Amino acid sequence: MPGPTPPLLALKNLTVGYGQPILTDLNLTLGRGQFVALLGANGSGKTTLLRTIAGRLKPLAGTIKINGQNLKDVKATTLAQTLSVVLTDKPLVPLLRVWEFVALGRYPRTDFLGRLTDHDHEIVEESLREVQAETLAARLVDELSDGERQKVVLARALAQEPELTLLDEPTAHLDLKHRLEIMAILRSLGRRRNLTILAAVHDVESATKFADLAVTLKDGRLLAFGAPEAILSAKAVQNLYDCPAASFDPSLGGLETPPDGLAGRAFVLGGQDKAALIYRFLAKKGYALTTGFFLKTDLDAHVARALGAKVFSWPHPDLKNEDELMALSLKELATCDLLAISEANGPLPELRARLLTEAQSLGLPILRPGPNGDLAPFSLTLERLKNAAAA
Amino acid sequence: MEATLNVKLMARRLASRRVFVFYVLGALTLALLAINLGVGSLSYSLNEIIHVLTHPNEKSQLATIIFKVRLPRTLAAAMGGAYLAASGLLLQVYFRNPIVGPYILGVSSGATLMVSLVMLTPLGFRLTHATPFLTTIAGCLGAYGVTILVVALAAKVRSGATLLIVGLMMGYLCGSATSILTALAEKEKIKGFVLWGMGSFSGFKQVEILILAVFGGSLVLAIYLLSKPLNAFLLGEDYAASMGVNIRRFRLFILAAASSLAGLVTAMAGPVAFIGLAVPHMARLSFGTADNRILVPGACLMGALVVSLCDLIARMWLNPVELPISAITAFFGAPIVIGLLLKKGARFG
Repeated sequence: MPGPTPPLLALKNLTVGYGQPILTDLNLTLGRGQFVALLGANGSGKTTLLRTIAGRLKPLAGTIKINGQNLKDVKATTLAQTLSVVLTDKPLVPLLRVWEFVALGRYPRTDFLGRLTDHDHEIVEESLREVQAETLAARLVDELSDGERQKVVLARALAQEPELTLLDEPTAHLDLKHRLEIMAILRSLGRRRNLTILAAVHDVESATKFADLAVTLKDGRLLAFGAPEAILSAKAVQNLYDCPAASFDPSLGGLETPPDGLAGRAFVLGGQDKAALIYRFLAKKGYALTTGFFLKTDLDAHVARALGAKVFSWPHPDLKNEDELMALSLKELATCDLLAISEANGPLPELRARLLTEAQSLGLPILRPGPNGDLAPFSLTLERLKNAAAA
Repeated sequence: MEATLNVKLMARRLASRRVFVFYVLGALTLALLAINLGVGSLSYSLNEIIHVLTHPNEKSQLATIIFKVRLPRTLAAAMGGAYLAASGLLLQVYFRNPIVGPYILGVSSGATLMVSLVMLTPLGFRLTHATPFLTTIAGCLGAYGVTILVVALAAKVRSGATLLIVGLMMGYLCGSATSILTALAEKEKIKGFVLWGMGSFSGFKQVEILILAVFGGSLVLAIYLLSKPLNAFLLGEDYAASMGVNIRRFRLFILAAASSLAGLVTAMAGPVAFIGLAVPHMARLSFGTADNRILVPGACLMGALVVSLCDLIARMWLNPVELPISAITAFFGAPIVIGLLLKKGARFG
């Protein structure tokens, strides 16, 4: 009697670990054609979970069902036709060509001597194209760069023609270009091949930007499962990685760490998206930040908040008028060690002018970027200040 | 793009290169087998030798030399080389380590210990009359004793690296026991034992050739039939498992087959250095591939060729003094391997 199609992967009350449980009581159901990011701190059990789903590790309790069938009843070859893996170790095989390497993925679908048919050749070509590695086909695997190799490793996993691919940190050690390429390929595979991808990912930014769904693991439990936009709030990310210092901005998808403030405090006149680079620069130099005056939706406001700055946005909910804002910001300026001015002609020009004269009368160093926002003058001024302090 | 990516064409090109290398190696091996039959301390014309080979029932001095001495030795050397190479190849693939050879798990040390027991102690003296195959039987017991131990341990030890260390330790253990026996032995017995320890393909009896051919041949055939999972192993155990290979069963097969082949040759010919380690590399570089479906027969052929050549040199170089085979294999082989590696710029591991 044909019932509804069972889910591709269903974990029920699953406990995994090496003898000792690492993750307990997991419940998770994945459908087809989804890119799912598996997030969690180091040691949170991402790899252990993947190894268990791949059948390399027996569950300590609970069940794993693939296409409705209990994993322990699935024949090894059938499983290999349904599920492929991309592991963290580098398969450096000397004297093996890329196409031969990818063709190894045909293993569960070839005869007892592994002879390749025309159809197998086509699948190998298609898999290479899928990862944009067709030009690498004749190269030797051990001569590829890390990024190229990772594409080829992915192509091998695709050549198995799986419904589910498990990846362990697929972008670890890759440069920016390859990291983005691999993530973009993974994102499109779900749609194009109806392939479900479950990837342990260690950077939250990629997860929010590329994955359809995210699973977070912490303290031996599944913390949340859902769209990254829904479950990866700033708070959730801080909690997930036990990292209250990190501030994650879900709308920017960026992680920032607030400065230690050892160098003092800087007042930055920002606005109109011009000051973000100045914030980062000063934060790196150890300055805690205070900034104004702009709408709270300004890009500068997002970055400044992520860097833990005191932000005088306008209109301000607690302040009745501009005079109050003026008084408050002058008081704040008195606690600062320098004033930095972005090139913006932001809102509230009188306030800006007043702050500048106040800074001059306080004898604060005033930093201005060069043409086109060049921050070299900042470096020079800070260097001079440091030398003066040392003398 | 369609025009640039044609995997079928690439496969065909590689295959034709490999067939060519097979022909060359095959022809060279046949030539060497013929030379090994024809050359010796007594020289005969080619016609005489062909006549003897085509009339095996005629009795003559040459017939005795050919059938009792040269043919067994030629066949033993070729098979010995082939089996050691296959054994080395298996273990290099399994351990994913290029400096592993057939003796890494202590097979030859076990054989050597048992042989030292019969060659160096009064125990052997008493048994010598019981059987002409005494050293062979002792070698067998030693080699297979260690093999069984290693395979049993492999069922418990998961990590390849751990198993490698266990094998090395077994080697040291047997080696030190052998040293003690050597220290206690009479001087004149030691030379014979040392020479045995360097291997020789002389003095093979017909029954030994038969065992070598049937038992060894079927092991090599089995390995060839399992070259597909062996290829999966190139990527490591985890990947192999993810493609459907039964890891537990297959690793036991690899270890048992590799040790059995090495044990078989070592029991009969003594430890032959270098072949099992180097020939797989020579085969890999000549065929230009890591594909075990090519390398299993390829390494066997290369092993037969190399050992036949080494045996010829061992017999003829300082004629009438005969050199131990291990002296020749390493002396000529090591520079060849280094040269190949440098020339091809090939990287291993």
